[in-house]
Amino acid sequence: MKKRAKKTILALLLILGGVGFLILKGISDTGVYYRTVAEILSDNDLPQQRGVRVSGNVMPGSIEYDQQNLLLRFMVRDMKEADKTLRVSYRGVRPDAFREEAEVILEGRFDRTNRTFRAETLLAKCPSKYESEVAKR
Amino acid sequence: MNMVLLGNLSLAAAFAASLLAMMLLLTGLMRNDLRCIESGRRFLAGVAVFTSMAALALSRLFMTDAFQVEYVASYSDRALPLFYKATSFWAGQKGSLLFWAWVLSLYIALVTWNTRRETRQKNTPYIYLVLAAILGFFLLLLNTVSSPFTLLSFTPPDGQGLNPMLQNPGMIFHPPTLFLGYIGFTIPFAYAVAAMISGRLDPGWLRKTRRWNILSWIFLTIGIILGGQWAYVELGWGGFWAWDPVENASFIPWLVSTAFIHTAIIQERRNIMRVWNMALIVLTFLTCIFGTYLVRSGVLQSVHDFGATGLGGFFLVFLLVTGIGSTILIAESYSQLRTRHSLESLLSRESTFLFNNVILLAIAFSTLFGTVFPLISEMVTGRKLTVGEPFFNQVNTPLFLLLLLLTGLCPLIGWRRASADNLKKNFLFPATLAIAGAMVLFGTGVREFYPLAAFSLALFVSATILGEFAAGARARKRLTGENLLVALPRVLWKLRRRYGGYVVHFGMVLMVIGITGATAFKQEKEATLQRGEAMTIGDYRLRYTDFRSFQDRNRTVYAATLDVTRQGRPAGRMTTERRYYINAEQPTTEVSLRISAREDLYLTMPTIGSNNEITIRAAINPLLVWGWVGGGLMVLGGIMAIIPSRRRRPTP
Repeated sequence: MKKRAKKTILALLLILGGVGFLILKGISDTGVYYRTVAEILSDNDLPQQRGVRVSGNVMPGSIEYDQQNLLLRFMVRDMKEADKTLRVSYRGVRPDAFREEAEVILEGRFDRTNRTFRAETLLAKCPSKYESEVAKR
Repeated sequence: MNMVLLGNLSLAAAFAASLLAMMLLLTGLMRNDLRCIESGRRFLAGVAVFTSMAALALSRLFMTDAFQVEYVASYSDRALPLFYKATSFWAGQKGSLLFWAWVLSLYIALVTWNTRRETRQKNTPYIYLVLAAILGFFLLLLNTVSSPFTLLSFTPPDGQGLNPMLQNPGMIFHPPTLFLGYIGFTIPFAYAVAAMISGRLDPGWLRKTRRWNILSWIFLTIGIILGGQWAYVELGWGGFWAWDPVENASFIPWLVSTAFIHTAIIQERRNIMRVWNMALIVLTFLTCIFGTYLVRSGVLQSVHDFGATGLGGFFLVFLLVTGIGSTILIAESYSQLRTRHSLESLLSRESTFLFNNVILLAIAFSTLFGTVFPLISEMVTGRKLTVGEPFFNQVNTPLFLLLLLLTGLCPLIGWRRASADNLKKNFLFPATLAIAGAMVLFGTGVREFYPLAAFSLALFVSATILGEFAAGARARKRLTGENLLVALPRVLWKLRRRYGGYVVHFGMVLMVIGITGATAFKQEKEATLQRGEAMTIGDYRLRYTDFRSFQDRNRTVYAATLDVTRQGRPAGRMTTERRYYINAEQPTTEVSLRISAREDLYLTMPTIGSNNEITIRAAINPLLVWGWVGGGLMVLGGIMAIIPSRRRRPTP
């Protein structure tokens, strides 16, 4: 093989290696595990150093919102096991779609001592209208 | 006439015509019968007539509030303004699909017209055949699982209305422009496949599809920018890009096609990288289809999700067939495609193109990887590990900076092989400027590496582009004796293909500046205010002065007014709203924006309390306006590059 072709290939390999490294590092730095509410409650070796994503339904009657201080507290229920519930606190604005029974996706850390999930992000999904809804009516 | 009947019949006729075209073309190819091929061409062109009729029927149904049609009932209601009724056409999956097929058939009709005197050529019938097959696929879906003309068993008194978030001009044109781009790449793909099947592997196919490529790229660019703009002014979370799966689905083909457009230049000039280009155009088309698949299949959760629709399987099969078929074709023609002479030097313009390609593809790959990563990790480890915005930012930022560096290096390095002398001379000015700029920024307090690198690279690239403009003007001055100010626009116009490219690059530089400003130096603050209270953010003080509510067409509006002062001086008044649409469960927030060259002040009102105390979310996005300007320049440069030079009569 010619020398210059070798040099080009070497440079390309270097780039590809760099990209591979970036991707792997990106995953280990920013990857977030999905957990169900039940898993968070029972799993004792939950990764503490990194965030966890959890989804569940907002329990009726559990919503407390302090608009002045932008502090939202509520309970979420496991989407399958209805007796597993988790206390959540979130500092920020209450989203529009956030209401009783709404499905929420939380990202944050579980504070084991207070048994409270401290959410850093909160995404609420309203049961939006799908095409099937019309058909069912 | 009954529009539902017309729609159904037209769709069936369109499908039949595409099938007939395929059969005629195949027969013509087998028997080597030009008459057969010619009638195949005509049937293929004729599909456009039927799809146009179907499109007309659907818009007519929207206009007349025909709520017995399921699709109309799902996306429109009586109170919807006429403009939005017309554009609800593509608000859902079925209409989008009809739009796809319609536009594709129009594009195809144009191709059949442009090639009407070339049917004798070996590759032309194959181009038609590939196009007919792809069009046929979409028409098959429209006739079976995804017909927009399906009726409900009853007629609801009113429709469900269009999602209020989609009632925004940016959102109206965002999907169709993206589609125009996605669909456009079908044409070069068909040319490429036809070239491989027929064995006519000269760069002719590249030259003939250059405008299609760039035009589709322009549409993709516009679509992506409009999407970002929509997210920014309508969604109200203060950002413009969230690396959402569907955004990624439009970004990946953009990256791959950008790579392709660059190496296509190399093949045209030097007739190398032929295998590479074949692979890239195939990849562009596949990622376009994959993007559509991601949106339509519901495999990934996204704000754009249309819910699982059962279309996924069809797209997956189509994707697999096209992917495997193209791979086999490339493998078979590999021996004819590969070129003996390759890159001559690591330090040549060609190799900067190659590296630009590798980096663009790397960004595309990491974006794709991050998008489908939750699926992969669940399959491999059984645990759902997911990545989001931080992942994409962390991985792609260094790659983008590298790309920016190459954008600046490329014009400085000569074709084939650059000499050290030539390099020193060309580098001096841009490099000095970049270093000086970095030092000034460092002195004024910008200490983080990425913003520092981004801004100084932006300077570097701008300087090289400026250098190219100046060199062009000077060369023309020498040649014609014109004044520099006259020579510059003339040389830009004369060599618009080349300078259009530089305008695109400069647009990208501005975009980098805007994005860097708005991400690295963003300020955000949330506060709840009673009337008369104020909050501060950056140099601004916002005092809540007025609240009112009123009824407006199909919505109730609550509006809060804030007096703004900047550094103690009055800076006008801003009003932000919450709107409750009669047909929607959720209110929408209306963003209030104060745009300046320096920074955007961005206000939304996410909550209104019982005593009209309001929660205000304020953000300052420095330099963001330059990002939009840059986006505009990218589009402009693209258009510049495809304006045809003097009309030539086609040789009969």
